[in-house]
Amino acid sequence: MTGELERLEELGAELGRRARAAGSFLIARAQNRSVRRLVVRRGTVEDVAIGSTSGQGLQVTGAGGRTALASRDDFRPEPTLALLQRAIEAARRAESLPGTGCPPPSLAPLRRRLLAADEAAFGRIRLDEVGRRLVEIESEILGRVPGVQLSVSFRAEIDAWRIFRSDGTDVLFSIPRCALTAQATSDDDGARHAVSTALFGPEPDLPWSERAAMFVRRGEWAARLARELPTAPPHAAGSFPLVIDYALAKGLAHEAFGHAAEADGYRSSVLARDGRLRRGDVVGARHVSVIDEPLAGDHAWQPISANGVARERAVIVDHGRLEDGLSDLWSAGPGGVRLTGAARAETFRHAPQPRMTNIRIEVDSPLPAPGAFEDYGPAEVRQLLSDAGVLRRHPRVAFLSGYSGGQVNPTTGDFVFNCRAIYELGRDRIVLHKPAIFSGSMFGALQSVREAFGPLQLDAIGYCGKWGQSVPSSGGSHYFLVLDPHPAVRLGGAA
Amino acid sequence: MKLDRLLAALASFRGDGAAVRDWSLLATESRGLTFGVKDRELGNPHAPLALEESGDVRYRLVWSDGRVSRGNLERRQIEGDLSETLGYARAAAYDDPDAAWVLGSRPMPEVAMLDDDAAALARGDTGLLADRLERVRSRIEREAIRTWSGSFSAHDSTARVLTSAGLDAQARGTVVGWHVVVNGEIGDGFSARRAEAEAAFEARLERLLELARRLERPGPTIPAGARPVLLAPRVVEAYVLGTLLENLSGPTVAHGEGHFRREQFGSGHPVLREDLELRLDPLQPLRRGTYRFTAEGVPAAPCVFIERGRLVQPLLDLKYARRLGLDPTPLPLGLDTLHFAGSPPLALPDALAAADDGVLVLSVLGVHTQDDGSGDFSLAAPQALGIRGGALAGRLRGTLSGNLFRLLSDGGLRFVAFEDEPTPGLLLRCRFDPQDSRA
Repeated sequence: MTGELERLEELGAELGRRARAAGSFLIARAQNRSVRRLVVRRGTVEDVAIGSTSGQGLQVTGAGGRTALASRDDFRPEPTLALLQRAIEAARRAESLPGTGCPPPSLAPLRRRLLAADEAAFGRIRLDEVGRRLVEIESEILGRVPGVQLSVSFRAEIDAWRIFRSDGTDVLFSIPRCALTAQATSDDDGARHAVSTALFGPEPDLPWSERAAMFVRRGEWAARLARELPTAPPHAAGSFPLVIDYALAKGLAHEAFGHAAEADGYRSSVLARDGRLRRGDVVGARHVSVIDEPLAGDHAWQPISANGVARERAVIVDHGRLEDGLSDLWSAGPGGVRLTGAARAETFRHAPQPRMTNIRIEVDSPLPAPGAFEDYGPAEVRQLLSDAGVLRRHPRVAFLSGYSGGQVNPTTGDFVFNCRAIYELGRDRIVLHKPAIFSGSMFGALQSVREAFGPLQLDAIGYCGKWGQSVPSSGGSHYFLVLDPHPAVRLGGAA
Repeated sequence: MKLDRLLAALASFRGDGAAVRDWSLLATESRGLTFGVKDRELGNPHAPLALEESGDVRYRLVWSDGRVSRGNLERRQIEGDLSETLGYARAAAYDDPDAAWVLGSRPMPEVAMLDDDAAALARGDTGLLADRLERVRSRIEREAIRTWSGSFSAHDSTARVLTSAGLDAQARGTVVGWHVVVNGEIGDGFSARRAEAEAAFEARLERLLELARRLERPGPTIPAGARPVLLAPRVVEAYVLGTLLENLSGPTVAHGEGHFRREQFGSGHPVLREDLELRLDPLQPLRRGTYRFTAEGVPAAPCVFIERGRLVQPLLDLKYARRLGLDPTPLPLGLDTLHFAGSPPLALPDALAAADDGVLVLSVLGVHTQDDGSGDFSLAAPQALGIRGGALAGRLRGTLSGNLFRLLSDGGLRFVAFEDEPTPGLLLRCRFDPQDSRA
């Protein structure tokens, strides 16, 4: 894994020398990613796949500011040096094309090594033992909730990068990622419904860890929902008082604010004016902040950007006011924001884009919610609301539970995301409804956040697909957020 | 890519006392060129001029004890220590009787997949791509467009499938494509194994700009409720075909996770409206989805999945074909070789006349968040146009909701032909909640 990247020192130095000699700015990215994945269904291993991705991407910016990216899937010096020459020539030829270029800023070089604590443990993963353990987990969930189809999978990945710049930067880091996922599908003769859940951890022994019990509880929740949803009625469309859990709050932060804060989009983003972030504008309630930062051991952790810049915490919304952007080498200056090292790339073949890492919504003075998040079903959430007086303000509240993905248009501020289920919580009843799209405008959403319950829980995971590049994302919020009704924030509607 | 060392290693390797009994390999190599444009800037660091070379081998190994391994080998692994690499593969072997077989030699169809001009582009002859980029740029400069981004690309790839049972077939193909997004929200493009004809390219660009202009105008005020909704071909591809294909896929059917049940295939019982059909023909020349064989060596051939509203067969690779006791099928590589049809399609003007007080939905957000098995949908439609008096009006935003399978069984569903689009639009009646309405 990282051993191969360690041996690239001389090649990296030579690439830098040649780029400087050609009057070009170079970022050379070498990547070595190894993945193992195993799926269990009906008590047996259904699928196992192993694979790797490795190679180099050479991003050259010529004197005129045009950028070329050349990639090749090996580490041999001669082809790599020839590839650099092609990239230099391509960037040079691009100078004659219409339009203006984008020269890189000068930056102090960075030299750093941040390696996964126990990379060797990934090499010791025994997939046959993983398979047996997943069968046990599947059996435990089905023992609690019979009558559903279940698949349980485990994925373990080490993603190692070495990044050289022609200014002398040389960084090496590796990111461990492991995840357990379960998908439950109802198998009634009537309609079918699928509900999935996940648990992330950086350790390859995750299936045997103490947290596996938490995964079983999440799996049980998914299985119960899958069994109940086919006969659940749809929820009416419109604007309602809402409660969203921390995973949906992650979706709200990610879709509604995170993407629009990415500085490469400021020429069209609704959070920018004339290509620059609207710093200081009020975009949310005063007790609400949106923060993005790398958290060690997290699913979306990346300590150093794909351009070799240390990743920094960014307070995108500071108590209701727009403050920071998510920026990279090229977008920080033009966007009027400080450099936060937010560039990420799916692979060495891709051009890095400013992206989120772990993003959260924080609310001042959250109300207590003792115990673990998994302790809270709809009845317990209703009790929290009742105790806090929310149900006096709103006799009926729609509780959106579980995140199933979202999407945004940063140009317009339109966002959507979907939940796993909706519970109508009233003083006298709890009614399960089918999930519905939650959509609206970002400003309305953040203005409407009223209360928060519980501590921060930041382990909601997913993948983000900006510009066709899939990178891990994560985040969360307090256990639950209450949103007052707002005309610009809507639930999708009845069929 | 030279495979001699790999083939020799497969013949001689022993791991845990087991040898490789059968194997199937798909070796691919690709070379390509992409011009990126971000916010009018060509060669922007976020959308650079990209040169790409790659090659790898996807393998499925059946060991002498019947266990199966599958994964990919990178080019450098094939040229490196193969005994170590095959050792990792052996360590990942598992029992999978349905996957423990490979195809033998069989005739492969011939079909045009390679365009010499496209191959020259992929090698670095930038002429056509640069020309089209410049024409998009100069055309957009004449419009009141705030910004635009896009990509123009060409790739030349080879694929070779070979198995221990004697199958050995090769194919080479090109892909040329472009995609442009204006004002950060409405986009269009084209991709096929050769470049789009001049007139079609110009017409597609003009249609895109016309839609961008219309989206700048405010639309009519409409109440929430069920109304005629015309889904544009891109929406049909992204949501309707995507959902149908997921529910027709072999794993979904075999695991009982989708809307369609195993026993419904071949039963002769209609599950959708009785004129609906979904066919695949990967032998149409020079389409994006044209190919000679699948990754496992199944020959390309015309194939029917839904006929007269009845399920004919799922989409089946070797494993799930054996699991379901059926033959493996060709699989769609691109949507332009799928034929989704029903009653004779309406011309667009007739569809607009039939959809008065309705909505043309140009794009939707949230497709990947829907539950494919239930068919229930709840999608945001931030780019939609009102329909008034048989003509397009200004912009609407809202959410769509309904159940796809009920709509595909509904007598009122109509197919609509759109210019230069292989996928039809769909005129249906479902709920549309405009964004500014109240609950």
